[in-house]
Amino acid sequence: MRNMQQRIADRLGRLLIAGISWVVVAYLALPLIVVVAISFTTTEYLRFPPQGATFRWYWRFISDPTFVEAFVLSGGLAAAATAAALLLGIPAALVFARKRFPGSAALSAAFLSPLVLPTIVLGAAILQYASALGFARSFWALFAGHVVLVTPYVIRTTLASLSGMETTTEEAAQDLGATPAETFFLVTLPQIKPGVIAGALFAFINSWINVEVSIFNSTAQLETIPVKLFNYIQFNIDPTLAAVSAATIYIAIIAVVAIDLSVGIEKAAINTTADTRN
Amino acid sequence: MRITSTNAAFLMLGPVAFFVLFFLAPFSVLVGESFMRPDGGWTLANYTAVLGDAYYWGALLNTLLIAFWVSVVCFLLGYPLAYYTIFHARSVWVRRLIYVLLVTPLFTSNIVRAFGWIVILGRRGIVNESLLSIGLIETPLDILYSKLSIITGLAYILLPVMVLSVCSVLQGVDRSLIEAARDLGARPSRAFLAVTFPLSLPGVVAGSIIVFALSVSAYVIPSILSGGREMVTPILIFQQYTATFRPDIGATLSVVLLAVTLLLIGAYLLIFERRVRMAG
Repeated sequence: MRNMQQRIADRLGRLLIAGISWVVVAYLALPLIVVVAISFTTTEYLRFPPQGATFRWYWRFISDPTFVEAFVLSGGLAAAATAAALLLGIPAALVFARKRFPGSAALSAAFLSPLVLPTIVLGAAILQYASALGFARSFWALFAGHVVLVTPYVIRTTLASLSGMETTTEEAAQDLGATPAETFFLVTLPQIKPGVIAGALFAFINSWINVEVSIFNSTAQLETIPVKLFNYIQFNIDPTLAAVSAATIYIAIIAVVAIDLSVGIEKAAINTTADTRN
Repeated sequence: MRITSTNAAFLMLGPVAFFVLFFLAPFSVLVGESFMRPDGGWTLANYTAVLGDAYYWGALLNTLLIAFWVSVVCFLLGYPLAYYTIFHARSVWVRRLIYVLLVTPLFTSNIVRAFGWIVILGRRGIVNESLLSIGLIETPLDILYSKLSIITGLAYILLPVMVLSVCSVLQGVDRSLIEAARDLGARPSRAFLAVTFPLSLPGVVAGSIIVFALSVSAYVIPSILSGGREMVTPILIFQQYTATFRPDIGATLSVVLLAVTLLLIGAYLLIFERRVRMAG
C-alpha cells in the first residue's frame, strides 16, 4: 500500500517536472511567435492574434533604404568580424590545445574573458580608445569591438573540437614528413571543420545581434540593424518594426538549422554557451 | 600535432597583438580616464563624486537587485527544464526541439525579444486584453515599465544560458551513482537531493554567475522595458557618453560596475567553495 502511494508520488513528481519544462519552453517561444505573427497583420497597429495576412509590412521595410542599409552594414560587419575571428581564433586554439607553455591557462582565460565582461563597458572602452586615436564612430571602431566580442566563440568551439580529436593521424602525418602547415590543412582542419563552422556561426550571429558595443560607435549614417531597431522602437511601435524583427528571427532560425546540420545543435549549444572549466 | 616553440610564438603573434591593441589598451584607456582631471592630471575626484552621490548608489543597488532576482528566476525555471532535458526527454527529437527553442532566442537581438514582451505585457497587450475580455480587471494593468517587466525580460533573455550551463554538467553526471542510491532504497526525490543536485551545483554556479554578470551589464532591456521609470547603472553609463558628455564619469561608473560585479562573483565563489569543502 505504501509502496503504491510512493509510486504515485514519484509519477506525479515526474509529471510536475515535465509540466514545468513545457511551460518554460512555451515561455521561450512565445515572444518570437508573437513577433512573427503580428508582422502579417493587415491592421495599421499591432494586433495579436493578427487580422488577415499581408506582406505589406515586409514591402515597407524592403522599400525603406535606411533599413536595407542597416541590414547590409550589419551583414558586412558580422562577416568581416567572423573572418577576423577565424584568423585569430583558430591559431590561438591550436596552440592552446597542442602546446603547454607557462601562462597558457591565464592567456586562454584572458582571450575568453569578453564573454563575461560587461559588453557595455567594452563599448565605452572602444569608443574612448578610438576617440584618442581618431577613429571613433567609424566602421573600424565597430569592427575592432566586434572582433574582440566574437573571437572567444571561435576559440571555444575550435578548442572543444581539437581536444576531442585523436592526435594519432596528425602525428603519423608529421612522422611521414608532412610540414606543420600540411598537417594542419590536410589532416587537422578536415576533422575539426564542424567545430570551426559552429564557432563561425556563433561569432557571426553574436556580432549580428549586438547592441551594446555598436551603440557607442554608431552615427545616424552608421547604424547596424539592432541599433536602428533600438532607435526606431523608442518612437514607433508598429507592424513595420514587427516585419524587420521577424526578418531577424528568420535569420536566427537559418543559423540554428545550419548549426544543427554541421555539428548537431545539442553539442554546439552545450560546447559554446556553457562555461568551460578546464 | 607537435608544434615547435617558434611556430607556437608565430601562431600566437596575431591573436596576442590584437588582444593587446583592441582589448587591453582600450580598457586601460577607460580606467585611466576615470582617474583623469579635465586638465590632464591624476585625481580621485571622479570616484568621490560617484561614490558620494546617492543617485548613483540608488541606480547601482537597483541594478544589483534586478540581477539578483533574474538569477533566482533563471534558476527556478531553468533547472527543471535542464533536468527534464537530460534525464527524462528520451526521444532525440524532443531533445532537439528543446535545444532549438533554447538557441533560437539566443540568436535573436535583445530588442526583438523585448519588443515581443511589449506586445505581450503592454497596456493594450495580450495579457491586459485577455484579462479585460474575461472581466477580471476593468482598467489595463501597468505591468510594462516596471521592475517586474525588466526582470521578466532579462530572465527570458538569460534563461537559455542557465539551462545550457546546467545541462552541460548534468550530462556528465555519472548515472551509476544515481542508480546506486536508488538500489540502496532511496526514493527518486531523495536520490535527487542527495546525489544529483549536489553533483550539478557547478553548473548552477557557473550559470548563475554568467546570468548575474550579464544582467548587471544589460542596457537594452532596462532601457526599453523601464520606460524611464527605473534607473540602472548601464543606462547611466551610456548617458554620460551621449547626453551629458562626461566620459570621465562614464568611465568611473564603468570601473565601479566592473569592480562590484567581480567582487560579488568572487564572494559567491568563495562561499560556494567553502560549502563544498565542508560537505566533502
